[in-house]
Amino acid sequence: MGQAAVVVDALVKTFKGGVRALDGVSFEVPAGTVLGLLGPNGAGKTTTVRVLTTLLRPDSGRASVAGVDVLAQPELARTRLGLAGQYAAVDEMLTGRENLLLVGRLTHIGRAEARSRAAELLEQFGLTDAADRPLKTYSGGMRRRLDLAAALVARPPVLLLDEPTTGLDPRSRLDLWAVIEALVGGGTTVVLTTQYLEEADRLADRICVVDHGRVIAEGTAAELKAGLGATAVEVVLGDAAAAVAAAELLVGVAERPPTVDGVTVRLATADGLHTTAEVVRRLEPAGLGVVSLQLRQPSLDEVFLSLTGASGPATDERGAA
Amino acid sequence: MTAPETAAADAEGPLARAPGAGGNRLVLALDDCAAMTVRNVRKVLRAPDQVSFTFIAPIMFTLLFRYVFGGAIRGLGHVSYVDYLVPGIAVQQAFFSSGNAGFAIADDRQKGFVDRLRSLPMARSAVLVGHVAATAVFTAVSLVITTLVGLAVGLRPGSVGGLVAGLLLGLAFASAVSWLFALVGLYASNSQAVNAITFPLIFPLTFASSAFVPTATMPSWLRVFADNQPVTLVIDAVRDLLIGDIGPAQRALLFAGRSTTTLVVESLLWAVGIAVVFGVLAVRRYNATTS
Repeated sequence: MGQAAVVVDALVKTFKGGVRALDGVSFEVPAGTVLGLLGPNGAGKTTTVRVLTTLLRPDSGRASVAGVDVLAQPELARTRLGLAGQYAAVDEMLTGRENLLLVGRLTHIGRAEARSRAAELLEQFGLTDAADRPLKTYSGGMRRRLDLAAALVARPPVLLLDEPTTGLDPRSRLDLWAVIEALVGGGTTVVLTTQYLEEADRLADRICVVDHGRVIAEGTAAELKAGLGATAVEVVLGDAAAAVAAAELLVGVAERPPTVDGVTVRLATADGLHTTAEVVRRLEPAGLGVVSLQLRQPSLDEVFLSLTGASGPATDERGAA
Repeated sequence: MTAPETAAADAEGPLARAPGAGGNRLVLALDDCAAMTVRNVRKVLRAPDQVSFTFIAPIMFTLLFRYVFGGAIRGLGHVSYVDYLVPGIAVQQAFFSSGNAGFAIADDRQKGFVDRLRSLPMARSAVLVGHVAATAVFTAVSLVITTLVGLAVGLRPGSVGGLVAGLLLGLAFASAVSWLFALVGLYASNSQAVNAITFPLIFPLTFASSAFVPTATMPSWLRVFADNQPVTLVIDAVRDLLIGDIGPAQRALLFAGRSTTTLVVESLLWAVGIAVVFGVLAVRRYNATTS
């Protein structure tokens, strides 16, 4: 524990056409922990995973997996990692068991070991009944589970999950989360990319928020929320005119002026309790008719949007880099 | 918990081995090639629509040319048209079959399967070799079908040895050409695009050749092309091996007087040249690209 099982150091990658997919992304993942790489489409999450899995050479920077430099010793690095991808890279014409046996054979773990690993993983992932059916008969959730099982055949110390639940229905997503949580209990180091804040919140020990190819924030989910300094104080008034009047009274209470949205006045502040007290002290004598007063922590969604908001919808055009 | 699970839970550390580590590199690489070949053959057998043309077309072409066009074809001396025709169809169909390597590679790339393979500590060459080898299996089947249909409609090979040698030469040439299509499969944006490229390439090379009619009957500009392109050479070599001894006059008429040795050696040189050039280009492309 404590030692970094995955190191990503100042990776830069520019694709043909000048798209800078990675712009100095750096992070470390302590052994046995889960790092969530969180970001919009095109932020550089998948590109980072492709560098770590030796599928792509960066223009500059370094990366290592379980102590092996992926650029200097890619062949050795491939013995230390498992990849499960958003594109469910399994062979749909083969059965579940055949897929796992093929991966076992190609990772040279020995035929007997490959057979027992396949049986074991099919059991563990609840696919024993479907083991000898071609994958094209599997549901989306079953296919993702098999994809994950394929990544685990050789018991790699580092697992890279590239948007493991994208496109799954909520129930399949919950199933897959349970499987991933069980894995992490077994000591595997995991790098997980996701667009789902809930997913990062639930599975990851630490989260790196990535945008435009670099890490723009890092920490535990709680740290990210606190670091934003954005406890919100929301005051709801009887009508819009009262809201405007209240907003004028509340100028100077928080670091930034209050915002008005219809009948709601909103204040972002680092010190929620003090601000709430001050709001009450100023509004009570004015008799504006306060309907409700609320103090709340921001959701991870708000953290995410506030960190990446500037890039907004335009990021979609960059596609999955 | 069942017994195997307990045992697995006790096991420590990664199991995977790199091709270079703790084993004979070549043995592991060959095993990777074998594993990929088996997987590719299995995949085709479960979805045979792409390859079915490879098995049906030789029957259609043989019957069509033997009975519909064959009666009008002259200028073969003592050689019967069916003996002339079958080697042409065999090589043409082997050529078509070789295109399936490109289709299969593009399909694997498109579906992300190549990415999974590239993340494994397997021999990288096994991905392409596996497709070329699996394609050769189906090409061999196509050649056998062509021969059986030919025998049914009157083909009379000079000797069994000559027939087998001719088929093996056709298989060798088609396998060399499948490296070209492997390269196409690595560049194509999807598997359908491979078909769009292979057909316009195969048609002129196999029809503007000695496959169905002697090149002497073609206009001179076309004849220059037909006489000097490798498909004609390989068809002539296969035809020569299959028909057997035909005497100098017939040899002058059908093969421009070239000896069996000349035809076979030149065909093999073409095959080796095509395999080396496109094999090297395909391997380099595979190693350089990412999906």
